[in-house]
This record gives sequence, structure tokens and C-alpha cells, in this order.
Amino acid sequence: MASTTSEVTKKVTEEVTEKKSLFNLNWVIGGSLLVLSIAMAARWYQGWAAWDYGLDSTHIDFQTYWMTLLYVEIAVFSILFIVSNVGLWMTRDRDLPNLDARTEISRYMKLIGMLFVYAFAFVFAGSFFAEQDAAWHQVVVRDTSFTPSHIIEFYGMFPMFICLGFASYIYAITRLPLFAKNVSIPLIIAVIGPMMVLPNVGYNEWGHAFWLMEEYFTVPLHYGFVFFGWSIMALGGILVQIMSRISVLMPTAFHLKADA
Amino acid sequence: MALLPNQEISLKALLIPDSEASKFSRKLDFLILPIVVFAIMAAVHIHFMLTAGDWDFWVDWKDRQFWITVSPVVLMIILGAIQAIFWVHFRLPIGATVCGLLLILGEWINRYFGFFLWSHFPMSLIWPATMIAGCMFLDLVLGLTRNHLMVSVFGALGYALLFPAANWFILAPFRLPMELQGSMISVADYIGFHFTRTATPEYLRIIERGTLRTFGGESTIIAAFFAGFLSMILHFMWWNIGSYISNLGWAKTSLKTSMGFHKDDQVTREEGLGGPVEGIMGGPTDPSEAK
Repeated sequence: MASTTSEVTKKVTEEVTEKKSLFNLNWVIGGSLLVLSIAMAARWYQGWAAWDYGLDSTHIDFQTYWMTLLYVEIAVFSILFIVSNVGLWMTRDRDLPNLDARTEISRYMKLIGMLFVYAFAFVFAGSFFAEQDAAWHQVVVRDTSFTPSHIIEFYGMFPMFICLGFASYIYAITRLPLFAKNVSIPLIIAVIGPMMVLPNVGYNEWGHAFWLMEEYFTVPLHYGFVFFGWSIMALGGILVQIMSRISVLMPTAFHLKADA
Repeated sequence: MALLPNQEISLKALLIPDSEASKFSRKLDFLILPIVVFAIMAAVHIHFMLTAGDWDFWVDWKDRQFWITVSPVVLMIILGAIQAIFWVHFRLPIGATVCGLLLILGEWINRYFGFFLWSHFPMSLIWPATMIAGCMFLDLVLGLTRNHLMVSVFGALGYALLFPAANWFILAPFRLPMELQGSMISVADYIGFHFTRTATPEYLRIIERGTLRTFGGESTIIAAFFAGFLSMILHFMWWNIGSYISNLGWAKTSLKTSMGFHKDDQVTREEGLGGPVEGIMGGPTDPSEAK
């Protein structure tokens, strides 16, 4: 969308009638700190328990220190996914056509905040712990699909960002008029694309089990991760849609008027 | 695409000092920019680690043929698309540089915390190659010519040629020859032999292939030009793919009735769309806007 401010000639004034803030940044900061804390704790745990207890999956210590973590992760993220999305759906706004501009902007800000935390979580899943998986597998040949690197990356970080992404999607379609009326293709791509990385893990481990125990990182078996990893960039498309809508709402929400 | 009247008013309001609109806009910037940074960093890094991957992980894989050919070529896939998005929609000639910077940031974080602190590989074995110089050249050509075809032809070639040049200084000490048990190897090979990895086969081999194994020479230049040729093609392809995909807009849904809308309600242009309304999958309604 090309535009130029030179075409805007009318003077604009703002009537300040409301002082209530449209958005509380504390939720974004808190959410980001929570994601960072989980990632740091996971990294610390790997440093402490991977070499001592994570090399032999048949050893009882592996069951204690790693498989227990796996079961906890599966339980926690499954429950979180169901509760958050069902909760968001059940509390949906059933009168979206009559949503006022200021509330709509406030909800867009909440959505952007959720996407912020989602993107931050994806950095750990797609960048930090992903390449760290190479650091592990170039030292240790896997004996099962459940390794210290996989248990954190595939069954910890991936479900975490999937929960965040899907919650963002349900929030958008149940609280924002435009996202309720039509399916935003960037939103679908940004949420479903990275989500598909988890099923792709199944394909990946199947390939490792039957053909390749350990190999270099750039084998075609891993290309599914590349393809679905691209889809996180659709966040940019969502932002463009949101910004376009907010710019239309701002005059109403902030009581702006063009002087004659 | 012309601005809507409300959008014009909003733009003007941002110039009112200390207004709620301008403060709100600034707060929005501080949320949006990190989202873009996180998304690009994660996408480019996961792309590069699984396509160039090992050629970037290990110093003994930084050979004269495959490293120089593979690394810039596979990165161009995502560079072309992101550069297109930054230019077509925002006229910012910074897409490639942003990718190069964020990629090296993600790589360094991971090499230190993952490969070095966790797996105890030495930094001399695992330092990442820099793509920044080539990426800057790609953006420079775009900024100067404002024409993506010129970027595909000249920018992509320069990008690939700059790759070995920019990494030469850090790589040169590892290319020094040495003798080990009667065989001539490089310092990089020697470090690699001490840290056998699962990608190293049962017999210790020299990663590099070819009939004449030199420690410099024309094989580097030949590989760089070949990488340039491939980069030209890929940049053109992925610029167009990136332009098209970034123009996708809206599709139909039947869930809207649960939120109080009528089943025939659709998003309209007057509501301030960021993408085209026509059709299921969208696509540019005005072909000139795609470039």
C-alpha cells in the first residue's frame, strides 16, 4: 500500500476526552519473562542432566530425569491448549457488529501483545533450541527419539508456542470484527504453519528410525522444518492488516477531527 | 492504493506533539518492531541451519567448493523473499541486511550456549560464517537501482562473490597447511580430527573433494561464480514468490455467525484492509503494485 503524507493537507485536532490507557504493557512483559524463564530453566536443566543422565535411554536415571519431564510436558501443554482455547471460545463476544472503536483498538493491542509473546517463544523453538539439537546429535548417536535435546525442543518449546499461537488465533476470531468476518490468510499461515512442525517431527523421527540414525543437519529429511519455519514470517502480514484497520479506527477512538 | 479519509486524518494526528494518538503510535512501534525482529530471526535461522547447516557449523567443512557454493545459494531463497516484502510494501531497502544481521546474531548465541558451553566444541571449530557484507551489497544495489531485476543480475552476483571474500580473513589461519603422519592437511582438518562428530564417517576423511586439493587458488573463484549464477536465478524466483505470498488477504468463513455477524457479512475495503478483497486467495488486483 503506497501512500504519501503530502496528500494530507487538512489540519487535525484531538479532543482529549478519555484518559484511560488502551493497553497494559505489563502483560506483554510478564508473558515474555515467563517464556524466557522457561527457556532458561530448560537450558539449565539440559546442562545439568543431559550428560550425566541422558546418554542411555535404557538406564533408570533416564526414566527418572528425562521421561518424567516428557510426561509432565505432554500433560501440561495438552491441558493448557484445551483450557485456553475452549475458555476463549466460550467467552467470545457475541455482539461484535456493535463493538466501539476504542474497545476494538484495545483488543488489537492485546492481540499484538499475544503475537509478541508468540514470536518470542518461536525464537527459542526455531532458533536457539533447534540448532542446539545439532550440538547434541553431533556428539551422541540417538538410541530413541526421546533425547535430552528433543524432550526440551520438540515436546517443550514446540507445544509452548503452539499454545500461544492458537490462543492468539482464537482470540482474534472471537474478539475482533474483521478476523471474525473473514479468515485472515496471514493469521492462518502464521499459526497453522508453525503448528505443523510438530506433526513433521513424527515424519522426521520415522525417517531417522528407518534410514538414518545420525547424520548431518542438512539432509532432505529435515526440509519439512524449513518449509514450516518460513510460515512464521506471516506475522508481518497480520501486522499490516492490523495497522491498516487501526489507522481507520483512530479518528473515532481518539476523537480526531479534520478542521475545515 | 489511495489512503482512506480516516487514514489520512490518523497520519496527520501523529504529528500533534504529546497527543494520545502519537503516544499510542510510539507504543505500537515498540511492540511491532520486536515482533518483526523475532519472526525474521527465527525463520532465517531455522532455514539456514537446515539447508547450509553443517557447512556453517564446522571449520573443516568450510572448504573451497561446497561451502562457497551452498551457503550463499540456500540463504538467497529466504533473502529474496524478505527483501521483496520490505521493498514492495514498505519501500525499505534493508530486507537482506536485516536477515544477515539477525542470522549471525542467532548463530552466535547458539554456537556459544549450545556448541561451546553444552557440547564443549571449541570456538575455533564452530564459528559461523558472516553473510552481512553480501547482504548489504544486495540492499545497496536495490537502493541505488530501485529495480529488482538489476538486483537479481548484479546484486546477487556480488552477494555470492563477497561471501568468500568477507570470510577470508577469519578463515585464512585455518587454511594453513601442516603435515600429520606423512600426509598434508590443513589446520582446520587437524582441529576436526580431534573432535569427531557423528557426521564424520568411520574412516576419517577430508571433507573436500576434487582432484587438485589446493589451499587457495582458482577453485574458490570458480565456486564463487557458480554460486553467483545460482543466486541470480534464485533471487529472481523468490522475489516473485515473496511478492505474491505477501499479497494474500482474506478468505471466507462460516464461524462469523457465532460472533453475531450475518453469514453474508464480508470485510470491505473501507474497513482498512491490508490485502486485496477479491477472490478466495487474494493476490494483487493491480499488477503494478506487486513490483
